[in-house]
Amino acid sequence: MKQHPRCSDCEDRVTPMDLPVPSGLKKEWLVSESRRQFLGRSGKVLGWAALGTLLGEAGFHYRAFASGANPQARSGVNRLGLPHFAPKSKRAIYLFMSGAPPQVDLFDYKPNLTAQFDVDMPASVRGNQQLTGMTSGQARFPIAPAHWPFSRQGQTGTWISDLLPYTARMVDDLTFIKSTNTDAINHEPAIMLINTGNMNAGKPCLGAWLAYGLGSMNDNLPTFVVLQTKTNPKENNQPVSSRLWSSGFLSSEFSGVGLRSVGDPVLYLRDPEGVDRNVRRKMLDAVEEINRQTLAEVGDPETNSRIAQYEMAFRMQSSVPELIDLTKEPQSTWDLYGPEAKEPGTFAYNCLLARRMAERGVRFTQVYKRGWDVHDNVVGTLPVLCQETDRGCYALVTDLKRRGLLDDTLVIWAGEFGRTVYSQGGLSQDNYGRDHHPRCFTVWMAGGGVRPGISYGETDDYSYNVVKDPVHVRDFNATILHCLGIDHNQFTYKFQGLNQKLTSPVPAFVVEGILA
Amino acid sequence: MRVRAKIAGAAPSVLRRTRMIPQRWLVAAGAGTFILLLPLFFPLDGRPHADWLQFLGRFHPLLVHLPIGLIVLWPLLEIMGMKRPALREAAGFVLQLAVATCLAAIVFGLLLAYGSGEIGTTVTRHMRGAIALAFELLVALSIRDSWLADQRSRWYFILLTATVATLAWTAHQGGSLTRGSDYLTRYMPPALRNLLAPSAVSSHPDSFFTRHIFPVLDTKCVACHGTNKEQGGLRLDSYESLMAGGKDGIVIAPRNPDASLLLKKVTLPPSDPHFMPAEGRTPLTADEIAGIRAWVKAGASPEVISVAGMIFAGDREEAPPPVGDYSALMNEIRQMQQSQGAKLVPVSANPSDGLILRTTDVGASFDDRQLQKFQRFAPFIVEAELGRTSVTDASVETLIQFKNLRALHLEGTAVTGRTLGKLSSLSQLNYLNLSATKVTSDGLAPLKSMPNLRHLYVFETPAEPNSADSPLRSSQ
Repeated sequence: MKQHPRCSDCEDRVTPMDLPVPSGLKKEWLVSESRRQFLGRSGKVLGWAALGTLLGEAGFHYRAFASGANPQARSGVNRLGLPHFAPKSKRAIYLFMSGAPPQVDLFDYKPNLTAQFDVDMPASVRGNQQLTGMTSGQARFPIAPAHWPFSRQGQTGTWISDLLPYTARMVDDLTFIKSTNTDAINHEPAIMLINTGNMNAGKPCLGAWLAYGLGSMNDNLPTFVVLQTKTNPKENNQPVSSRLWSSGFLSSEFSGVGLRSVGDPVLYLRDPEGVDRNVRRKMLDAVEEINRQTLAEVGDPETNSRIAQYEMAFRMQSSVPELIDLTKEPQSTWDLYGPEAKEPGTFAYNCLLARRMAERGVRFTQVYKRGWDVHDNVVGTLPVLCQETDRGCYALVTDLKRRGLLDDTLVIWAGEFGRTVYSQGGLSQDNYGRDHHPRCFTVWMAGGGVRPGISYGETDDYSYNVVKDPVHVRDFNATILHCLGIDHNQFTYKFQGLNQKLTSPVPAFVVEGILA
Repeated sequence: MRVRAKIAGAAPSVLRRTRMIPQRWLVAAGAGTFILLLPLFFPLDGRPHADWLQFLGRFHPLLVHLPIGLIVLWPLLEIMGMKRPALREAAGFVLQLAVATCLAAIVFGLLLAYGSGEIGTTVTRHMRGAIALAFELLVALSIRDSWLADQRSRWYFILLTATVATLAWTAHQGGSLTRGSDYLTRYMPPALRNLLAPSAVSSHPDSFFTRHIFPVLDTKCVACHGTNKEQGGLRLDSYESLMAGGKDGIVIAPRNPDASLLLKKVTLPPSDPHFMPAEGRTPLTADEIAGIRAWVKAGASPEVISVAGMIFAGDREEAPPPVGDYSALMNEIRQMQQSQGAKLVPVSANPSDGLILRTTDVGASFDDRQLQKFQRFAPFIVEAELGRTSVTDASVETLIQFKNLRALHLEGTAVTGRTLGKLSSLSQLNYLNLSATKVTSDGLAPLKSMPNLRHLYVFETPAEPNSADSPLRSSQ
């Protein structure tokens, strides 16, 4: 009985080289000798075959655009058939309030609570909800009304806390969702869920999906940029990790590029002393050549990503210094954003950078502001947090609007969940704390695709349960994709046997009621 | 059969002509006088009267369709009767029946209006039309025999035509009373509707009232509270009349929905005698009531554009018209994608959504001459991103060939505005960004005639208004 030619146990020493096959193929066998290589490559061949089938007609229709290392061509409209329909927004800016801002104190006006100060929240409101370990042991759940007054603002007469005097000036441009809710009650799962559609790490985030699906609008800057705001040590800062802007199972070139909040925004961006652009170029060309050899040998798509990233970094050497050079900003910019915007790492500075990136064709910018986790000392901390962010938010929306960018830019303001109406820890006339609350929280959006000046969804008298038009964070993400021209159900990537999507396998629905 | 019919038809009419004419004229004169005097006995004073009057009056809609059918049948029989005399004989009977049912319908109609206290110009018109119709029928009945004797007379046919016309007009008034005056025009193609009745120009065409409150009042309330009728002295056919209220005082209390009579009435249980809309007309939907409530709560202003918490599907902008399919030019577009120059990017997977001309990667090296190269794609380009490029005023000549252009970015360019007037031929242009250019308000003046140009940006230009903090989003 003849043994398989690749089997080295073969006693009569028949080698593959004895087979009547073209010499080119024999050479290929020599470089891919190991079993690991063989299995790995067979897997990839099957993968590509599957991808070819998945793309089907659409894949061939758009194959015209698919080509080599140009990231624009390797993603976007062309290969995936995206956007599915004409988008209202081309780009998005996501102001992420990590730690969960208290909706009761800022947006969800409950005038009836003032009279119920220190009254126990009825048990029926909470139902059988499992609380966090931080308050589950509390003997009572006394109601803590908002410490600051609310007032009606704008032509729409929207109620908003006096803590947000700048946001109050633009309420007519904002779309509030007061009925957002999530599944998780702790920070990490909740922040993963809202960013990636799944509480477990390993899934691509919104920005990565957008970078993969829509591609770049600018060859010289990343498609997806993450800006972190300098932390204030007096605040309760929850960690924010790169898992949140990870590309998960998508190619790593789609993950967010973080710009540092202190020092150089991108490390080692400047060429070292004595190395000029030409030397750098030659070096990169040589590295690319080596990488291409590796790619030919191993066939790992991640090598392609590496090549693309080196090229992007080279282009960013000239585009990023231009991006962060604020000297040409007119005085009107500083009047609007305030003097804080001149200091790198502040929220206002990041908002200004976000506007500059929107102008330069960055598809998705996510600004993280930490410190909203006000378990205690709400009265002491919340005004600081509002003061740090309020003007930047207003300046960004207003600046985009006056420059004509808000028509096709979606601005999103959200945290990972809300906070309880009852006080965590001691409640006094002067202070209180608020625990995590996943059942309802307020977010806002502005710009292309959403209807300005409206408020969607309602909560009960305790800002505890949603009573009208609930919006799950999955629905929220589906709506964001919709504004950018994507049908979230059709935008999938096959991984682990599942057509993975941002909105996870659980059904999600676009919130039609807020669309423009 | 045919011969017998002829004889039977001819003989009695000869008899009648000699003996019964005066009597017939008398009957007609008597009936005419009765109809004329009837409104004097039952004057429409806007007050409801005895219930039994209204009870009888409610048979008016049933009765009224009899004369309508007969009056339409009668001229048909007269015309067909020229060929078949038997039909002509039937026409006489149909006419008599039409007169009788018409008189009955008038009596019951008057009982209805008198009993329920309905008034208004349409009620009056409907009544007068019906009386005129009865007179025409009576005259036709009187002169028919003499016309039969001398068939050359044209007067009978003129009368016939006039009667049908009067019927149509009167029936339309009646229809307007029950179905609302816009029953026919509501779903009419807009072009035809504008031709027939140019809509009244609202002073605030974009306001929440105009878009969401007025249409509800117009469909559900104005039939009884408008020019047609003024039940309770209340008219709801304009903002002013809505706020003025009726006999029972104001119906809208700004910022106080619970004190607003209108909201109280429409939210009563439908079985309540004071429930509105009355008489089994279509009630307001929950969404419509919520819209009115939210609007009242927000101050019931005639100008406010949107109201917190209210979203309507109709608010959405209409989709722009599709452009042609650019698939034939795909090869060239693909080549452009791979080169380093400006790019043409599909708006979406649907080719009829058009292309975007994107210059982000080339910036200042893109000039007027390069723009000209895109002329052959002109009909497919819906958005031209020319911000911060080197295009000048001369490019306007090229751009006016982009017939489907909806958005034009010229921010940060050397454009001065001298040639902007030519852009007015771009009928689809909705967005024009001229920020950080040398454009002056004089240069912008010609753009005012562009109906679709809703988003014009002139930030950091000499044309910018002085309010430093207010965003510039001029809506035309």
